[in-house]
Amino acid sequence: MAAPTTSVLAPTRPGAARRSRPPGYASQMAFVWTGLIPILAMFVVFAFLPIGVVLWLSLHRYNQLAPTAPFIGLNNFTFAFTKDPFFLGALGTTLKYAVVAVPLNLLFALPIALGLNAVPRLRAVFRSAFFLPTVASAVAVSLIWRYIYEPQTGWLNVALGAVGLLEHSWLSEPATALWAVMATAVWQDLGYNVLILLAGLQGIPDDFYDAAKTDGAGGWARFVGITLPLLGRTLLFVSVLTMISYLQQFTYVQVMTGGGPIHSTETMVLYVYSKAFSDMQLGYASAMSVVLMAIILLVTLAQFRFLRTRWEY
Amino acid sequence: MATLLPSRPGRRQRDLWPWLLVATLAVASLVFVLPLLLMLAAAFKPSAEILQSPPTLLPQSPTLDNFRTVLAEAPYGAWYRNSLVVAGAVTFLAMATSALGGYIFAKFEFPLKKPLFALVLATLMIPFPVLLIPNYLVANRLGLLNSLWALILPGVVSAFGIFLVRQFVAGIPSDLIEAARLDGASEWAIFLRIVVPLVRPALAALGVFTFLASWNDYLWPLVAINDLEKSTLPLALTFFNSVNATRYDLVMAAATMAVVPVLVVFLIFQRQIVKALVLAGMK
Repeated sequence: MAAPTTSVLAPTRPGAARRSRPPGYASQMAFVWTGLIPILAMFVVFAFLPIGVVLWLSLHRYNQLAPTAPFIGLNNFTFAFTKDPFFLGALGTTLKYAVVAVPLNLLFALPIALGLNAVPRLRAVFRSAFFLPTVASAVAVSLIWRYIYEPQTGWLNVALGAVGLLEHSWLSEPATALWAVMATAVWQDLGYNVLILLAGLQGIPDDFYDAAKTDGAGGWARFVGITLPLLGRTLLFVSVLTMISYLQQFTYVQVMTGGGPIHSTETMVLYVYSKAFSDMQLGYASAMSVVLMAIILLVTLAQFRFLRTRWEY
Repeated sequence: MATLLPSRPGRRQRDLWPWLLVATLAVASLVFVLPLLLMLAAAFKPSAEILQSPPTLLPQSPTLDNFRTVLAEAPYGAWYRNSLVVAGAVTFLAMATSALGGYIFAKFEFPLKKPLFALVLATLMIPFPVLLIPNYLVANRLGLLNSLWALILPGVVSAFGIFLVRQFVAGIPSDLIEAARLDGASEWAIFLRIVVPLVRPALAALGVFTFLASWNDYLWPLVAINDLEKSTLPLALTFFNSVNATRYDLVMAAATMAVVPVLVVFLIFQRQIVKALVLAGMK
């Protein structure tokens, strides 16, 4: 810890030596490095080193039980994309999950936020009702919804039967299982998006609406002309955040279906988890998680591009 | 505010609008509360009633037996303590390191400052599941597996927290800090007595966020912990569920004990928590 301090005090570059140091500079630098080094060390051990390890693993055939870990180049990746139908299935399920559940979430979150914004007095009460599920643990929520989806004793079929609709074994039919899981996820984290969208709506100055009203703009025209464009950044932010989280789904599927029936709800993270910790194929599982990281990075970078170009006001 | 409701007096058709809206919101919000109430109701039902079809809405003969069974059959106290210790330690340490790191990156000039900060921020882009396997190997090498340390140590620093505090500290006038220096205050004293109190709102936001995330975390404990006695609540709940697969009375009682305290704390402090979460979400 002393080393960086001394190197700062005795600069090797001639240009740096000429700059005059304010009094107390040495004690400031001592503070900076004693504070920063332990923090950076934690990042090294639990973020940078692991990233290096996962990249290394992805290029090796690594099995904890095997004595050697031969370098196999990109074989893990080519195997995944050409010879492993379960990986392709999990990739497809993950993409479908994100592409369906993100719009589904916003389709409900935006009207609810608009509604809350229009009832200032009751806003706090309703807001906490919508937000309540986000505070619960995803495991508990999964168990609650499994109970609701039970074919014989569950509430969903009772409610549907009462209005004469079809009953299902929601979680054990491949056609419905993924939808049932997505509904659970949307139910749990919709409240967070409502909260952020509501904050965005409250940031739009009332003057804009007043001006539009004097110009004779109706409710819909004001929504399309003022609310949507001014909420654009917030909407994009919320969509990207939700998408990144839906690309990493694990808990709901693991607890509610275990990836079944017939792999219909197996997401990438669940498949990576089972390859790594049931089959102990850490190298292959690492390669698959690198693919997931690449997808998520693409989404993040696309957001940055989009934010810079389209949404400047 | 007035976007959807231009309620001009004297026009009856429009006066109906607010009531319709409130009614719709009430029905919608019920969808979000009802499943939690169903959990609560199931927890108080005797085992015969839980298997009844169609199910009863409220328990016909409410009983505490399910809670007694859960507490007698499972080390529930230990699970609770583990969750509290882990979430408490992670929250406190993440707040401390974020305050320190955020302050240093905001108010000091030092070599490599920019690249170091960029590196810290870059970790925000790494999704956790990608770190799952290497973190498992690192924790294994450090001998942390199957101990609460494995759950605490990776959460001790937060790139998001450092970023949040840095934004907040940027708003503190540097003169304030210079004045304290001229008065002879040490750097640590300035940090603890001037900076920390001023960034309290950011730290509160980070604290709420971190505590909830840690309390509800599932994937990492699932990999890092083997012993039932060292489990945290979410992990223990799935174990409990796998042992009592069809006993929804017991499973819902166990879930109730894990979830309800958090919900109650949220309802008590909801104004502060909502403010904190919005602050954290909006940057």
